[in-house]
Amino acid sequence: MSDQLKPDELLNKIDYAPGSGNWMDNTASVQIRPGMYCYAAKAESVQTLGLPNARPWNPLEEDWKLPDNWQEIVFQGLKDRLERFRTFKVFMDICVRCGACADKCHFFLGTGDPKNMPVLRAELLRSVYRNDFSTAGKILSKIPGGKALAGARPMTLDVLKEWWYYFFQCTECRRCSVFCPYGIDTAEITIMAREIFNLLGLNIDWIATPVSNCFKTGNHLGIQPHAFKDMLEFFVEDIESLTGVNCTPQFMKKGADILFITPSGDVFADPGTYTCQGYLILFKYLKDKYGLDVTWSTYASEGGNFGFFTSHETMKRLNAKMYAEARRLGVKWILGGECGHMWRVIHQYMDTMNGPADFLEVPKNPITGTVFENARSTKMVHITEFTADLIKHSKLELDKSRNDDFVMTYHDSCNTSRGMGLLDEPRYVIQNVCNHFYEMPPNTIREQTFCCGSGSGLNAGENMELRMAGALPRANAVKHVHEKFGVNTLGTVCAIDRAALSTLCEYWVPEVRVAGVHELVGNALILPGEKKRTENLRLEPMTGFEEEDDE
Amino acid sequence: MLDIQLREVYILLTINLKENTILLRQSCYKIMDLKQALGKNREAFIKKWFQATIDTYPSQSAKILGKDANRFDNPIGAITHETVADVFNLILTDFTPESLERTLDPVIRIRAVQAFSASEAVSFVYALKDIGEALLDAGMIREFDRLVDQIALASFNRFMKCREEIFLLKATESKRRIHRAFERAGLVAELTEEDLLGSKQI
Repeated sequence: MSDQLKPDELLNKIDYAPGSGNWMDNTASVQIRPGMYCYAAKAESVQTLGLPNARPWNPLEEDWKLPDNWQEIVFQGLKDRLERFRTFKVFMDICVRCGACADKCHFFLGTGDPKNMPVLRAELLRSVYRNDFSTAGKILSKIPGGKALAGARPMTLDVLKEWWYYFFQCTECRRCSVFCPYGIDTAEITIMAREIFNLLGLNIDWIATPVSNCFKTGNHLGIQPHAFKDMLEFFVEDIESLTGVNCTPQFMKKGADILFITPSGDVFADPGTYTCQGYLILFKYLKDKYGLDVTWSTYASEGGNFGFFTSHETMKRLNAKMYAEARRLGVKWILGGECGHMWRVIHQYMDTMNGPADFLEVPKNPITGTVFENARSTKMVHITEFTADLIKHSKLELDKSRNDDFVMTYHDSCNTSRGMGLLDEPRYVIQNVCNHFYEMPPNTIREQTFCCGSGSGLNAGENMELRMAGALPRANAVKHVHEKFGVNTLGTVCAIDRAALSTLCEYWVPEVRVAGVHELVGNALILPGEKKRTENLRLEPMTGFEEEDDE
Repeated sequence: MLDIQLREVYILLTINLKENTILLRQSCYKIMDLKQALGKNREAFIKKWFQATIDTYPSQSAKILGKDANRFDNPIGAITHETVADVFNLILTDFTPESLERTLDPVIRIRAVQAFSASEAVSFVYALKDIGEALLDAGMIREFDRLVDQIALASFNRFMKCREEIFLLKATESKRRIHRAFERAGLVAELTEEDLLGSKQI
């Protein structure tokens, strides 16, 4: 590794623009390129949340309409966070620039832009830290040439613009941290940078507006309770025409055993809607067979948390409603749908943020008796853990052959795999509901999984080039299993993935489509009293289940 | 008198025809010779062309992307290498503009979403001209340049197709994902998805 990027090269030889010298003197060359950035946050969304400096602005314009004392705000923002977050302080100091992370970032591998090497992206911030905060940096700045030696630079408007451009080219996926010998979590550096942007009113709209929607109506899409209910009832009709069984869910039922919360994308966006139907079928099955009492809520109608991409405080505000609703309804514990960053928030932040949720019980599967020790504190279980447990105890009657048209591979969502270690349960479920499953190459899955390229609020339309470039490493592996094994479906347990990977496939591997794991469960699960199914949840005919010709 | 004139015309025509046939034959020989020479220098061509293509990236990146790493750890490097080799192998055979464009696709598809202008994105094809000058006999250069021009034109076609796909994805992504779901649920009634995507006349 160390032969790729030596420290002196990193500091002095980055000539991204032709003819430049020290890369740090060269920030004016940063061109905010259409296709690579997301639109600025709408003033009203920023206002709803009571965050500072709400005003219309455009990243392409020279004047970003910053407060006069913006440098002071950045300095104070950095100082506060260095004092508050020990990890951030340590990550600022300990990087030895070995270069192990350099070629691990999907955005670097896809764009070929050296400033997307995680080490260099972090260095954008570290260089200012060294100038203003580190003792060594301060001493060195007093001797001639010392600043360059320390790799320090002052905070200028160009530096801020460069930060903004590149910290919104990081999906906080943490693949780089897997390879860092010091365990530096570059995602956390991005998180801090984005917090500082929010102090100046520099959020992007794809994050700010969903957060504002969620704050006002309970979900990112801003769908009101009656539409949420309408949508689920429509799914019920679809399922009934397919299976002959009515799977009507319960809403806001006080005293139910379990509160179920899933990302709103599952309710409103294809192909997540098929996954949502899978949940409805599963809950109906468990109710009829074992009397399991699950309720949905139109108040806690969002599992995702784009507050996570804004600031710790915003994340906390959005997360709180899940627990408020669980408390109000008096359920025993919470079951969560297929989502990515929702689980990182639950697993890594919730407990010290809104927890401990000691008014809930330690999650125990009432059907199998399994206690989910991993969720002892958060009281929230991922649905693939729950379903895998049911399958393991032979509690589900499944017909795998109903999924024979799906030749599967599985994409580990960054947040569930690296963020909470959920690696085997989704695979176990897929292999029990499908006959055809093939893994992508080992250096592209599990802990080493490649991001979809659209996480952390970057799933907008205007930055399509960035998204498709960032998606290249993932697509490359999908294409490989498509060509080698005839894989035609990419399974995933994340709502952002279901949207982002579908577009990824359209561009890179159009022969492959995307499906949630519980869509497949919904196809395979044999409901008590169901009629003969001839179509899957997508209303496509299933091979081997054709309607018999009456004539 | 007329007879003599006619005979002269006939003779002239015959000579012309022969010359043309010879020219045509010479041209065929030229192409065959060229392809033979290209085949002989195959390894050198692919190696230099790959390097020239990777060198279109910033030097710090080129150092990593140019490495012969696992194809899943270095997709740009691996796909670029495979594609330039495939294109080179193709031009040694009888190819069609369609097969050429198809073979160029993987590398163009990548460059179409990176920070290249249109001309920069396809410029790597012209690197072949310099490589050709260094490796081929002077007599073959003109013919070789023609071949390179064909590759460049095919590249530009493919680049435009990829860009159009990107714009289409931009235009239709959210409609496809969200509007379709609403439509199925009967929550929007005024326009169908086909109407919005323009595939049906309103």
